[in-house]
Amino acid sequence: MIGALLVAGLSAVGLGGALAARRTLFTAGLTVQAAGASAIAASGFWELGTGSSVGAAFTSAITVRVGVDPLSGLFLGTLGLIAAPALVFSTRYLQQSARGRVVAGLTSVFLLALALALCARDPLTFLTGWELMTLSSAALILVSRSADRESRQTVFSYLAVTHLGGVGTWVAVLLLAHAGAIGHPGAIASGSGVQIAIALAALAGMGTKAGVIPLHVWLPRAHPLAPAPVSALMSGVMIKVALYGLIRVLVEWDGVLPVWFGVLVLGVGALSSVGGVVYALFEHDLKRLLALHSIENVGIIVLGIGACLVLRARGADAWAAVALAAALLHTVNHAVFKALLFLGAGAFERAVGSLQIDRLGGLLRRMPWTGAAFFVGAMAIAGLPPLNGFASEWLTLQALLHVPAYGHVADGLAGAVALAALAATAALAVFCFVKVVGLVLLGPPRTPAAAAAEEAPLPLRAAMGVLALVCVVLGVAPGLLFGRLVGLAPWSAAGPTRLGLHVPGTGSLPTVGLVVVLVGLTAVLALVRGARSAVPAPTWASGQRVEPALNWTSAGFTKPLRLVLEAVLRPQREIATRTERGIVQEVSYSGSVPHLIDEHLYAPAARAALGAAAHARRLQTGSLGTYVAYLIALVVVLLAAARLGLFG
Amino acid sequence: MSAVTLVTAAGQLVGGIALAPLLPGLVQHWKGRLQGRRGPSPLQPYRELRRLWAKSGVTVEGTTAVYRLAPAVVAASLAAAVLVVPLTSRAPSLGLGHDALVLVGLLALARFAIAASAWDTANGFSLMGASRDLTLAVFVEATLVLSLAVAALIATTTDLTGVVAATAGSPVWANPALALGSLAFALVVIAETGRQPVDNPDTHLELTMIHEGPLLEYAGRDLAYLQLAAAARHWIVLALAVQVFLPHPREIWLQLALVPVGLVVLCGALAVVETLVAKMRVLLVPRVLAIGAAAALLGIAAHLVGSL
Repeated sequence: MIGALLVAGLSAVGLGGALAARRTLFTAGLTVQAAGASAIAASGFWELGTGSSVGAAFTSAITVRVGVDPLSGLFLGTLGLIAAPALVFSTRYLQQSARGRVVAGLTSVFLLALALALCARDPLTFLTGWELMTLSSAALILVSRSADRESRQTVFSYLAVTHLGGVGTWVAVLLLAHAGAIGHPGAIASGSGVQIAIALAALAGMGTKAGVIPLHVWLPRAHPLAPAPVSALMSGVMIKVALYGLIRVLVEWDGVLPVWFGVLVLGVGALSSVGGVVYALFEHDLKRLLALHSIENVGIIVLGIGACLVLRARGADAWAAVALAAALLHTVNHAVFKALLFLGAGAFERAVGSLQIDRLGGLLRRMPWTGAAFFVGAMAIAGLPPLNGFASEWLTLQALLHVPAYGHVADGLAGAVALAALAATAALAVFCFVKVVGLVLLGPPRTPAAAAAEEAPLPLRAAMGVLALVCVVLGVAPGLLFGRLVGLAPWSAAGPTRLGLHVPGTGSLPTVGLVVVLVGLTAVLALVRGARSAVPAPTWASGQRVEPALNWTSAGFTKPLRLVLEAVLRPQREIATRTERGIVQEVSYSGSVPHLIDEHLYAPAARAALGAAAHARRLQTGSLGTYVAYLIALVVVLLAAARLGLFG
Repeated sequence: MSAVTLVTAAGQLVGGIALAPLLPGLVQHWKGRLQGRRGPSPLQPYRELRRLWAKSGVTVEGTTAVYRLAPAVVAASLAAAVLVVPLTSRAPSLGLGHDALVLVGLLALARFAIAASAWDTANGFSLMGASRDLTLAVFVEATLVLSLAVAALIATTTDLTGVVAATAGSPVWANPALALGSLAFALVVIAETGRQPVDNPDTHLELTMIHEGPLLEYAGRDLAYLQLAAAARHWIVLALAVQVFLPHPREIWLQLALVPVGLVVLCGALAVVETLVAKMRVLLVPRVLAIGAAAALLGIAAHLVGSL
């Protein structure tokens, strides 16, 4: 039954893609795709609910096998949950031009590749899905942009970085298959060299695809280039498939990893979460900012995985399962609110024609539905109660807090540092999304285009409304998923299904009570306040009128933090003053916060690679005589080596 | 439900909402005395609330529901936080439980609401206060979570009633981990209540405001809600300090009876600190809070070494 529904959904996605590529059937094709995605979502969550497996089981043999188990079901469900609204959004967002039709068609290829990676039960199918996922997303970006030099360069650096990093994925999966450990966790001895090699390779390979710092360099460049619904799929689903792979390898197949590896994962997660959100704060392009927040949220998920690994190594199995559930819950939550925010950004770009956050403003009044949905998404990603982001961040904080409770001194302290990093990350995310909400939705419009913005058409509003509703539902009742997620750890049984989060060793998170108290009290207080107000007056700024030229900017709002973190971030600024006859004529200011890892790790590496290539090019003279000389030299060296017995 | 639970619940509600304005009132009163003035009466915050309650609010041109609802949201989240912080180890769960990390989330919600209202009015002075508040919040939140983590590790639960029970009966100086945690929490108390040397509650100069900045546009009942919320914030952090980080007895009735004593002592301590220490540069505050976070980390290390 589940299998049939899933197959029907996947075929509908494929059929819809083929239809959407035709001129006359564009909208119908996207609608069929959206229906297929809904069927995938239904079958995925149903699968998670039943807790049984459908289709083949995992095998290390190189034969094509597909099947679904509850963990795949969770990720398939998330894929459908994000893809359905994104496709509905596309019906009016993508233009019915040749380019729009190709994007609509390629989207279905992209979705099927993602589903293939999730349903694969053997190494070959998994790696095929993995590579197709990268290639189809790169093709989507290339097709959707007019072929300017910059975007081509970005796409090729995306492919280069993910393929270089992707080597790790191949090494990890093939080593696992060689050891026969895919589907048989006991096949690898704990503490063996192979186990460590697999874990490190998976962390590098899948971490690159997930965008963890310092392997993130492609993510904030590539994600914003795609059209909004595709960005939503890339940030919402594609990087989650990378995390799916990471969880399969590290938690399920690679045995119990040593404590130090869990601490390493915690370190990577802490660096990604703090680094992602700090650079997002100083970013002025809305989609780039959202892409950097994906790094932050991947960091939070990786923190959950790290806590799971450390706790498991210390024998605290119950808490390890809770930590894994925290990571999985945050995966679903992040997919939902990040897709919502990317779709909102697309709607704003469509209405205003810009994504520079200093050029929007006042959109909550011009676009009340879109604005309200975006507001919900911003509160959810900032981790504020009673929305879904808070539930999963609360769980992750609890998991990290219990690392010192079960650990020794070193790993316990690492857990405490990660706990502080996550707390700071949550506060920084509040800071960042106050800024985004304020600059985009509130205050006066900052440009004439923003003042004339019009509300998005119904399909766009409906797509965002559904995702906002999911944010609220998962915030009110995270326990619906949590009980099943605990059971996804191979060593743990599913917990009871309740609405709130009730975990022994915590004060528990009664989400329903929280919603009732917060919403009820706010309503009562607003009623008691009454409507009595003085005549509307302009903002009082100490006798100064608030002029558009004096409006606060993104850079101004974040300046205190930039000054506090100056020693770490090394911001650059230049002030040029032009004076004529002692009178200042012109002052120009430019400031930026350079990405340190780009500047100090990737730039030297790229320079060195280009330099090495320049040297290597000298060998390529183009004259036949030189090449013959190379061949003769090679033969002579090989003969000499054979004579000396180097080949045994 | 036993008598002590009922009395605790009543104390929590009455104290956190009705008696909370007495705390900033007491600090101001004693500060005046220490500075050789007569100082305002401890009841002054109530008089201000009465005055504000009768006045009309201010509608700012071009604002949205975010500006209108922010005071209600701030007051509601602080009221929820009052329910979360237990007065004794036998506090009943009033629908919200007593989790320490839920408290952190509720404080963040209040901060978000008030900062968003500053953007809605587009008042530069409000935004200046909001941006400073949010910058400090990064360090306050990390320090708060770490200091609560010290106590939670000792109690092996983040349930605050369990924490109060586990830290009862042993003086804070007998446990190095808890002593270091209370040092960190002391800094959080000063930062969260917006008192010197972090912020100056008496300032009338917009340029130096942190917590008062985003309140500039509000009047009437809106401002009354916000002032009540500020008082409730005093109550929450001081009640936590009394019941977790100060010595408190195991006997529940005694525990309950000593709460007012502890609160009054801490208000006196705040007044003394405010008289002795000048406001520091806003950019230096994160360093001081970072020292607090380091102390809490040392506390966790001490706990880990001690439990080997």
